[in-house]
Amino acid sequence: MSNRPNRRTPASVRVAEAQAQSRSRTLWIVVGVAVVVVLALVIAIALTRNEEESAEGGGASPSGGTIVPSGDVSEGSVAVTGADLPPLTSGATSDPAVGETIPTVAGESFDGSSISIGPDGQPKVVLILAHWCPHCQAEVPRIQAWLDANGMPDDVELVAIATGTTSSRPNFPPGEWLREEGWSVPTLVDDAAGTAGAAFGLSSFPFFVVTDGSGQVVYRISGELDEAQWEALIEAARTGTAPGGGESGESSPAS
Amino acid sequence: MSVDTASLFFALLALACLTAVLAVLGGFAVWLIGGRPAALASLRVDLGRVAIPLAWIVATVATLGSLYFSEIADFVPCTLCWYQRICMYPLVIVLGVAALRRDRDVRFYAGPLAAVGALVATYHSWIQAYPPDGGTSFCTLDAPCTERYVWEFGFVSLPLMALSGFLFVITMMVLARPAHLRRTIEIESEREPFIERELVEEKA
Repeated sequence: MSNRPNRRTPASVRVAEAQAQSRSRTLWIVVGVAVVVVLALVIAIALTRNEEESAEGGGASPSGGTIVPSGDVSEGSVAVTGADLPPLTSGATSDPAVGETIPTVAGESFDGSSISIGPDGQPKVVLILAHWCPHCQAEVPRIQAWLDANGMPDDVELVAIATGTTSSRPNFPPGEWLREEGWSVPTLVDDAAGTAGAAFGLSSFPFFVVTDGSGQVVYRISGELDEAQWEALIEAARTGTAPGGGESGESSPAS
Repeated sequence: MSVDTASLFFALLALACLTAVLAVLGGFAVWLIGGRPAALASLRVDLGRVAIPLAWIVATVATLGSLYFSEIADFVPCTLCWYQRICMYPLVIVLGVAALRRDRDVRFYAGPLAAVGALVATYHSWIQAYPPDGGTSFCTLDAPCTERYVWEFGFVSLPLMALSGFLFVITMMVLARPAHLRRTIEIESEREPFIERELVEEKA
């Protein structure tokens, strides 16, 4: 440093200082990056450490049903009695399955208990879901919220099928997903070949089949439904007639 | 490390990248509006010096993350994922070589690559956040691009992570442009003729 106060510090010294300052700032950038990475890792580990315990099933749901029982059976044996419904083809003007009687599909639920879907005198809405399908992931909480608000209908039986199950696809296993959603609809687990889905003519997810009391198909539809469309499905099961003209075009069976 | 932990880790890194991009944009706005403060000018110069190594780090982490999700977590990459990989993976080599050679011209090669990746990632992020309502035809087994393998904080998906990485690389490539420090300082030096002019001359 200069001991002559009325003269400025020599340029070379000031340049050296500026360069040193710049180097230290470069160092700080590197340190900052390292801190961000370590911080992200610590937060990630801390936040996910306690998430190992999975949701418990079996409790009562606000809808009056039982939250999908514990157990993570992802594929069950399925036995179909009767003829499969024809697939719901997009673009067709009428659904060939309407008026046909659904087959009896016997299988098991996530905890291995047996469950059966068939013409048993009760009007039904059958929901067919895949754990990886974002439309199903959006539909399930919507339906569950409706059930929690309105309760399980006592004159229409709701039953679900978890199919398309693949461990390498997201949101696996389906049992855990549905438990986390507080899903209270009794659910049958399809086999690896998708036998139960095929029995209802599954074409894409989510898939809904409405039957009347005699087990005859009233209506089928796939794609996300809003609350009003969902209520229309229950009404269709109750009355045995397909939802009428008041429905929005994008979810008509022909779409 | 569980897949949950890894997802959250990479999601946080993606948010850090996005924050950095926004910070640079914010700095640029201050630069334009706030009368070109000298402090920002020298910060700009320093960032320019480390821009290529930083971009290389982000491209490398993004590539390792992508490989982690496909090879260890066994998530099957969809078509759109592949297009983003095609843009991201070469950046590791290109930016790595450029960082070693201190070749700032790499921005002309890495920039467009990252820009293409960012476009695909934007579209992919969009359809994961808002799955298009294809009626009966969308959620079929052969159209898995909308599958949300990762969905952190209610909005961070895998393509959003890729998008963050691409945006960070693009930002760094812009900063890698040799700083017009000289011009900057000349403007400054009209007001303060002493300090920085010498610094520039020393460097030049």
